[in-house]
Amino acid sequence: MPYYFSFRSIYPYLGDLAAAAQATLLLSVLAIVLSVAIGSGVALMRRSDSRLLRFTGGLYVEVMRNTPLLVILYIVYFALPQLGLRMSPFNSALIGLTLNSAGYMAEIIRAGLVAVPPGQFEAAASQGFTRVQLYRHIVLPQVFRTIYAPLGNQFIAVILASSLASAVAVEEVASWMQTVGSSSFRFFETFVIAAVVYLVLCQIVNLGRIAIGRWLFRQPEAYR
Amino acid sequence: MTDTVLKFDHVVKRFGDRTILDGVSTTVQAGEIVCFIGPSGTGKSTLLRCVNGLETIEGGNILFEGKAVQAKQRSIIDVRRRIGMIFQHFNLYPHLTALENVMLAPVVVHGEDRKTVEERARGLFEKVRLSHRINAYPAQMSGGEQQRVAIARALATNPHILLFDEPTSALDPETVGEVLAVMRDLAVEGRTMLVVTHEIRFAADVGTRMVFLDGGKIVEEGNPREMLAAPKSERAKRFLSTISNAAH
Amino acid sequence: MSAQLLTYMPLLLKAALVTIWLSWLALLIGAVGGTLIALARMSTFLPLRLLALLFTEFFRSIPILIVLFFVFFGMPLVFGIDLSPFTATTVALALHASSTMSEVIRAGLESVGKGQWEAARAAGMTYWQMMRHVIVPQALRVILPPSVGVYIATLKESSLASIIGYVELTKTGLLIRETMGSSFVPLLLLALIYFLINYGISLGGAALERRFHVNTRLMTAGAGQ
Repeated sequence: MPYYFSFRSIYPYLGDLAAAAQATLLLSVLAIVLSVAIGSGVALMRRSDSRLLRFTGGLYVEVMRNTPLLVILYIVYFALPQLGLRMSPFNSALIGLTLNSAGYMAEIIRAGLVAVPPGQFEAAASQGFTRVQLYRHIVLPQVFRTIYAPLGNQFIAVILASSLASAVAVEEVASWMQTVGSSSFRFFETFVIAAVVYLVLCQIVNLGRIAIGRWLFRQPEAYR
Repeated sequence: MTDTVLKFDHVVKRFGDRTILDGVSTTVQAGEIVCFIGPSGTGKSTLLRCVNGLETIEGGNILFEGKAVQAKQRSIIDVRRRIGMIFQHFNLYPHLTALENVMLAPVVVHGEDRKTVEERARGLFEKVRLSHRINAYPAQMSGGEQQRVAIARALATNPHILLFDEPTSALDPETVGEVLAVMRDLAVEGRTMLVVTHEIRFAADVGTRMVFLDGGKIVEEGNPREMLAAPKSERAKRFLSTISNAAH
Repeated sequence: MSAQLLTYMPLLLKAALVTIWLSWLALLIGAVGGTLIALARMSTFLPLRLLALLFTEFFRSIPILIVLFFVFFGMPLVFGIDLSPFTATTVALALHASSTMSEVIRAGLESVGKGQWEAARAAGMTYWQMMRHVIVPQALRVILPPSVGVYIATLKESSLASIIGYVELTKTGLLIRETMGSSFVPLLLLALIYFLINYGISLGGAALERRFHVNTRLMTAGAGQ
């Protein structure tokens, strides 16, 4: 039996698609924001004077880099209710995705911190900056420049990874593709549409990153 | 009677089992320009870095304006706010313009009013002859220009003493002169300066005292011209002759 | 760890072997596919170059899961090809691995200086002789270490097979969880097994890096699917 394309048969499901795309986007944006926060903490732990903190930070990064996201999502999904914490599938997936992304984010931020020359810390120290002033005015602006591009890549990685949330009952784009595909037998069409949604989201992030970067760093490109 | 700004009292510094400073004692009065010379690796820079606590000391004492410098204590921040330091590699903040580099510490660290600071900063740029470069970024400037900005940055907080850590060693030969010229002006103003340098000529012309360090100890110190003309110790004699041979 | 969980250990270890085999197969196919695409990317024939670029960009910009859904659920409908969960997963992972490996291989080939290509040509070598004796041996030391990162990524991605019901390591863990009265402890054990396998492989990769003096950290960072 030959297969006839029929995007028309998908029309009734487009409303759900909008909601699904929104869920994908929201999940990814929140995960990125939260994982920047946690990743910064872990990166600072890895530069701490305390051996225990350094070890813990390193262990966290290695565990997250070497364990499948899907397994982490399942653990959060099944463990939290068992520990008495009831939450929506969305929030549970958000936690899993954030924990995972924070592992990579910590490495990105650490690389950014390492790229700040020791002379910067010395110059600031010689001028009597406190630790907070030093990070706020001298280190962070420089780290931000270094991690700006990798941050964009991580954003895209998180958008793609958020598709796994479908396995823990979040209604986002991948789960839209599967439910609509199996109820309408239109898997090719749903695949094409889902792929386009992801491609568009990724391209928006990508082009947005480049455009904003041009505006933010109007001043000389290479300053070292 | 002059005021004692800085007093080194049997300062000992070790890196692992290597002793870098082996009981250094000397005193710096207000208005003095003390030039530290000696073979590389003898702890001249380290001595300078101990003054504002960038290095910790293992023995002895450093008194700045009568109080012991303790690198690990919170009080070190107050010491640093009264000291200006100029580094071999400038260490300008690359994400800020020259003007912003100079203004950052007075505004952020000392909580001064932006307007006042900017006015003073512009004056400093005039002094280091860089008024035309205030909006340039460090990456857009030559080494000599960057070092002059670094001097302006150190002056911006009205320090009681200036520490120069080999300020011309990383410069192209043609820009060394412009930095030394600025330092000469500062000397004329009567600022207290500690200078680690290989520029023997500068030390002789501008310095009020020359200190020759070797093997972590002060081997000889005195009037720069007299020392240059007739070093008392054998080691200083040997060092000065290699230096002047290399200069010709 | 409870005694009951211990009785499941052999099952988990067997499932771990399945996971390792599945991802290894996908990586091998991905390496072959990646090589072809890398060569296409470096071809002088523009349409071929564009096609290869399109392939890599496409598979880098969509989730593996929707590729897997399409291969497993869609192929029977669209092309009348029924694939087992194992084959479907292998195909989906291999497609993704091909796009990643093509970038790794291209970077490796491009790391060999222009002079080497010209010297080989000047010596009268054919294309294959040049590749076999001059280019590949040099490119390999740039290609091998990041390939370890791709393998780890593929091994993690193979967990997606559990979503379409294939019983590999993750699915085995989920089944044990159900038989053990919905405790999440088996899942922790599952994570530990994955961690040990991947961390072991990454240590091997680090050894390769030291041996070849190349840094792969940048290339392996990023995706966490």
